[in-house]
Amino acid sequence: MVTNFLIYGLVNSAILMLSAIGFSLTFGLSGVANFAHGAMYLTAGFIAWMLINYLGLSPLVAMLLTVVLMGILGALIYRIILMPVRGIVLSEVISTFALGVALIEFFRWKGFTSFDFSLPPFVKGSIEIFGVTIDYQRLIIIGIALIIALFLWYFTHYTNTGLALRGMAQDEYTALSIGIESDWAAMLSLGLGAALASVAAVAILPLGIISINLGYEIFLIALAVSVLGGLESTLGLFVGSLILGYAMVIASTYLGPQWGQVVYLGAIVIVLAIKPSGLFGKYKELEERV
Amino acid sequence: MKKKALALGVSLLLMTSMLLSVSGCGQKTATTTTTEKKADSIVLGVATSLGQFDAAGSLKAAQLAVDEINASGGVDVGGTKRPFEIVSIDTRDAEPSIPVTDALAAIEKQILEKKPAAMVVGVLRSEVLLSAMDMIAKYKLPYMVSIAMTPDFEKKVESDPKYKYMFRVGLSSPYLVGNLADNLSTIGKKFNYNKVYFVNQDVAWAKGTNDGLEKWAKANGWTVVGHDAYPTGASDFSSTLNKAKLGGAQLIVPVFDMPESANLVKQASAMKVPALFTGFISSAASESSWKTFGGDINGLVNFLFENASLPVKALPKSIPFNEAYGKKFGEAERTKITGHGGGPSYDSIYILAEAIKKAGSLDADKLVTALEQTDMDGMIGHLKFNKNHQIIYGSDPKTSAVSIAFQWVDGKRVPVYPAAIAEGEIVLPAIK
Repeated sequence: MVTNFLIYGLVNSAILMLSAIGFSLTFGLSGVANFAHGAMYLTAGFIAWMLINYLGLSPLVAMLLTVVLMGILGALIYRIILMPVRGIVLSEVISTFALGVALIEFFRWKGFTSFDFSLPPFVKGSIEIFGVTIDYQRLIIIGIALIIALFLWYFTHYTNTGLALRGMAQDEYTALSIGIESDWAAMLSLGLGAALASVAAVAILPLGIISINLGYEIFLIALAVSVLGGLESTLGLFVGSLILGYAMVIASTYLGPQWGQVVYLGAIVIVLAIKPSGLFGKYKELEERV
Repeated sequence: MKKKALALGVSLLLMTSMLLSVSGCGQKTATTTTTEKKADSIVLGVATSLGQFDAAGSLKAAQLAVDEINASGGVDVGGTKRPFEIVSIDTRDAEPSIPVTDALAAIEKQILEKKPAAMVVGVLRSEVLLSAMDMIAKYKLPYMVSIAMTPDFEKKVESDPKYKYMFRVGLSSPYLVGNLADNLSTIGKKFNYNKVYFVNQDVAWAKGTNDGLEKWAKANGWTVVGHDAYPTGASDFSSTLNKAKLGGAQLIVPVFDMPESANLVKQASAMKVPALFTGFISSAASESSWKTFGGDINGLVNFLFENASLPVKALPKSIPFNEAYGKKFGEAERTKITGHGGGPSYDSIYILAEAIKKAGSLDADKLVTALEQTDMDGMIGHLKFNKNHQIIYGSDPKTSAVSIAFQWVDGKRVPVYPAAIAEGEIVLPAIK
């Protein structure tokens, strides 16, 4: 039973982390709280499905193309929807929120509500680890989550582009004064966030089917993980995912599956009430002290 | 500022369900599904959760029956032939967070604006049905229910004559419990099984079904390894599957009508849970679900509450129905017919046509009397209402309506229950 907890808790944590990483990155780098994150995830799932089923592309090509297309879509969303309201935080939130609801409800309106939408796993089959059977797709999810976390840490700490983006996030005016262009940085972060949402979608959705309500659920999960860990912190994202991932598995097993959802919804409320900066949100913690 | 914006965003999200329900039920107006409106047509209202696949399929099945009747000249009303016309409105009651009151508002809107002579299909959720019964009784409209399954429907009809306008053609939870128990008993004897795990959606009908079944199982010598309920929309079932595997469950009984539910069997296949699944998973009922789930549902014994999607020799009307459905809506749509709602919706139209002919008028009270005398063969078996206006279900389609079960065997759905319609026997799936 303990091994089960450890392994499936880790899988759950990796799923949460992948689901949240795009949202957290966009907020951390550009300050835009992309409330359309869940809708991006859903859109990526449907795009990949259509590329496979309508254009007959191989799943791997379709999934890679989806990530690229979603990255471009994210950048376009910034140019078309967010740029005119850039700097007006309230308007940014309302714009992304409205876009998210519009996208999700568009799919519902167009009849994407049946159970015919599913993506194939990267590799079929399963393996036994310490007496626990786990399928390859879940192991791949853990691997992808780790690779992305490491890549982002490297990207934001050791590349010029990443450092420029972080600089912009820390102080926009100082960054502007040394030649970092604000709109370029925000567009890139939105594009990256959307691409990461689609990586999550093509990795996680093969575990089940693409259902409309995932658009809302994934966003709430992303919000819970990011709020718990600290909105702009990669380490916070990692720790927040682990805490929530294991808490959900324990709650589902001992209290009942319905409590799994209560855990992450409760986490948003409790963290915002007690420590709004989250576990590792250093910049915001400073803001709060001031 | 960012904190405020975040808080605002969260508040907006929490308010979404309310906003959506307004747009869904209030402004998304009734859609006339017939192509041609005739002045003398008999309007039939369909107020249901059109985004949900059972409900959407039910509307199509009802439309097919209407088209067939209209093509044969229409309905005989006191010697005059008049066509049926279906109007529909989306109640969205299957969606999470849609309040009952919003679904009721949609129904009332249809009654007031479209003035139907009767309503068919009915709402999806039992919680909504029970409230809707009061409202519809006020308007004295014959209301033919195909989907919602609560046993309280019959109690309510029995409790007060004002509910005499309500009839249910679809299966009810007590019948389902009886069928599932009978099926469980057969499997237990055949394979010498006695350890079972129950898992269901956390909604009234599914809870009622599995609670009833759990009681039966305990009273009949079964060891109940566990019983879990999942909220609508849940898609990860690993905690249940782990407990079932560790507890040595030989049978897992799922009862779900949400699209994510087939993940349970898919996940079980990935986790190599060595148990036979037998119950109701709506998303694994249609012909197309084999492709959707990549064959991971192999071995699942799934109930079709009322058959429409599977051409079965012992239910002869199901064969031409499938042919006609494929012709009208396309072969791809035919393969998506689910296991609930379609059959009774199709039969409801014929029951109504017969009752109108018998009553010779559209007067609701005369129609009720005629409906109570229904005694005819339908697609789901022989159709006859009990004293509480519930179609009687049994195990022989020659004498009653039947709920059937099939097993997924290498991409084919083999009818296995009840014996009167079976075309094969239940086999244990190999764990790959």
